[in-house]
Amino acid sequence: MRIFVKPIWVGAAALSLVAAACGSSTSGSTSATSTAPVSLTFSTYAFQPQTVAATKRIVADWNKAHENIQVQLVQVDPNSVHDKLVTQFQGNTAPDIIHDEAADLGGFARQGFLADLTPMLSTNLKNDVPKGIWESVTFNNKIVAAPTLLQTYNAFVNRAALSKAGITPPTLDKAWTWDQFAAAAKQLTGGDKFGLGWGLKSPTATVMSMSLNYSGKFFYDQSGKTVVKFDTPEQQVIKRIHDMAYNDRSLDTVSLSQSGADVIPGFFAGKYAMIVGGNYIRQNMVEQAPPDFQWGMLPLLKGDTQTQNANPQTLSIAAQSTHKKEAMQFIEFFMQGQNLADVALGDWLAPTSSSAGKAVVTSSGGKNGWDVTAATTKDLALAPFQKLDNYPQWKSQIATPALQQYLGNKIDINTLGQKLITGWQTVNG
Amino acid sequence: MLDRPSPVIHLLKYLALCAYMVFLAFPMVWMLSTALKGPREVLSFHPTLIPHQPTLDNFRMAFGEQNLIQAALNSTQVSLATALFTVVIALPAAYALVRYQSVLRKIALGWILVSQVFPVILIIIPLFLILKGLHLLDSLPGLGVVYLVWSLPFVLWMLQTYVAAIPSELEEAAATDGAGRLRILFYVVMPLLVPGLLVAGLFAFISAWNEFFFALVVLQRPELSTLPLTLARFVGTEGNVRLGPLAAASLLATLPSLVFFAALQGRLTSGLLAGGVKG
Repeated sequence: MRIFVKPIWVGAAALSLVAAACGSSTSGSTSATSTAPVSLTFSTYAFQPQTVAATKRIVADWNKAHENIQVQLVQVDPNSVHDKLVTQFQGNTAPDIIHDEAADLGGFARQGFLADLTPMLSTNLKNDVPKGIWESVTFNNKIVAAPTLLQTYNAFVNRAALSKAGITPPTLDKAWTWDQFAAAAKQLTGGDKFGLGWGLKSPTATVMSMSLNYSGKFFYDQSGKTVVKFDTPEQQVIKRIHDMAYNDRSLDTVSLSQSGADVIPGFFAGKYAMIVGGNYIRQNMVEQAPPDFQWGMLPLLKGDTQTQNANPQTLSIAAQSTHKKEAMQFIEFFMQGQNLADVALGDWLAPTSSSAGKAVVTSSGGKNGWDVTAATTKDLALAPFQKLDNYPQWKSQIATPALQQYLGNKIDINTLGQKLITGWQTVNG
Repeated sequence: MLDRPSPVIHLLKYLALCAYMVFLAFPMVWMLSTALKGPREVLSFHPTLIPHQPTLDNFRMAFGEQNLIQAALNSTQVSLATALFTVVIALPAAYALVRYQSVLRKIALGWILVSQVFPVILIIIPLFLILKGLHLLDSLPGLGVVYLVWSLPFVLWMLQTYVAAIPSELEEAAATDGAGRLRILFYVVMPLLVPGLLVAGLFAFISAWNEFFFALVVLQRPELSTLPLTLARFVGTEGNVRLGPLAAASLLATLPSLVFFAALQGRLTSGLLAGGVKG
């Protein structure tokens, strides 16, 4: 037997040696000498071609102006940022500058993987972004990222359908309340057409964010312990959606089991007079709507307020980076008004800073919903759920299935509340 | 003498076969259809199989935005190396496991089964650190070693069933004629194992070709990206997918596997039968 076992080890060892000889060392932070230029790696999950182009342009501009601090761009898959970072942090190979989102930063911040930017941030940048958005990237009183772009949930309307029904769309100064929105949906329903299509296959993020309209925070501190409450503020939005689907019959129940993108063809085909989706679906409207299709993006719906959750994309610096100061200089450059505006225009998301908001409106002429998008930033604030370690588990195992059951009319509102409350007790120990 | 099946049953069999072929081929055909559609048609409320206005824009976009050729070359290198080394290492091991009945055999088989139990997520960080220690991170050979280790247990298990199907009398006859152990392995056993080796190689190739997570973790530099990593860049967050370019790029990713299967189809079928029936 030994003679036949040996080749396995010999082969494996030989292969390893060959592989080792061919292998190259990993890239990461370089320890530059005093004369060599500093080399920074910048990982980004930019995915839209225009955003990628804008990011490359920013990096090229920076490299041209800073011969001694060169930035190397590394594109990563948008849906695997967390997994990749986990191994990179553990292996001390993390990029210097990290593109991520606020909701993903908590664990990394608590483990000390992200540098504290607080003392390095310029006053200009600090003042350019609303306080509520900075809170979303602050952990233990340390700012661990610069917030860049934001998503909101907006209603989109078929202007021709509204005009035919004699409905005047709301303006930035006078946004629709949820009651007005429901009334319009009802008025626009008739025959085989629905007033509203809403892709709520994954309903939790939308419901949690929009419930802030009625101060529905879901998570509350009770003597130092986080508990879930499902009282009137939390019930408002989800109940209104349910009522539109099953009482008014103005919301197509089929669309509730579809994704946000799935309902767009029905919107273009006239099946839905209105849909609700992320602000980025304006890109679909511009690039994929029939040529004569007239659409509009509405200001954020209003409950007691128009507040939605701020979960911005972010730029952080790895604590293990040996060039934090230079990395911060690049982030400040990236966050400059026109630079951030160009990235926002590519991703069809709202820029976090007021200077970029103005630049976006100037560059776009305020068309294609950019006026509305730029105006939403002031209404965004941190929701408590975003910083809870066990929230992702509660969301996937408890909240999403329970909300799907409620939206499928399988359980009532009280049962939904029970599931959300006891589910949190289970996952949170 | 066997009865001839009735023409009706014959026809039904062919109909069922056709339906199954349509079922298998439809995703591929739909992918081709999507790849040839413009952005408006992709999002049509009443989609059609035949594009109204066929366009090659998606291919231009896919190839223009991502280095698909380089990614395909990287995938090919890693997958071929994985298939080759896996089979080369697994063959003698499988032979030894079958022909030498000892305590070590049971331990080895137990190890093979246990090694399949661990979820990837459990081993990924230790694996990352080991590769880093060996200076194999961010390199295609490093990724190849990971794939080799990952595929080896199953390929070993698969090959031993093929080895067991070869009558030992053949080897005894060769030994009687004076052939040594290695000569028997190369000139008697290996020719009979060709279908099994192809099946095993194909399994290792496809596993490496489609693998995403290890490549994501091991590779850093864009120029080393494999096809699955490159394809993932057409998928954004929140279900935001660029369907047209993704379909065009996916066609490229699928073609080598199809060609590989088509070329080996005859031998593959005989290999499957050899392993499944005679074993």
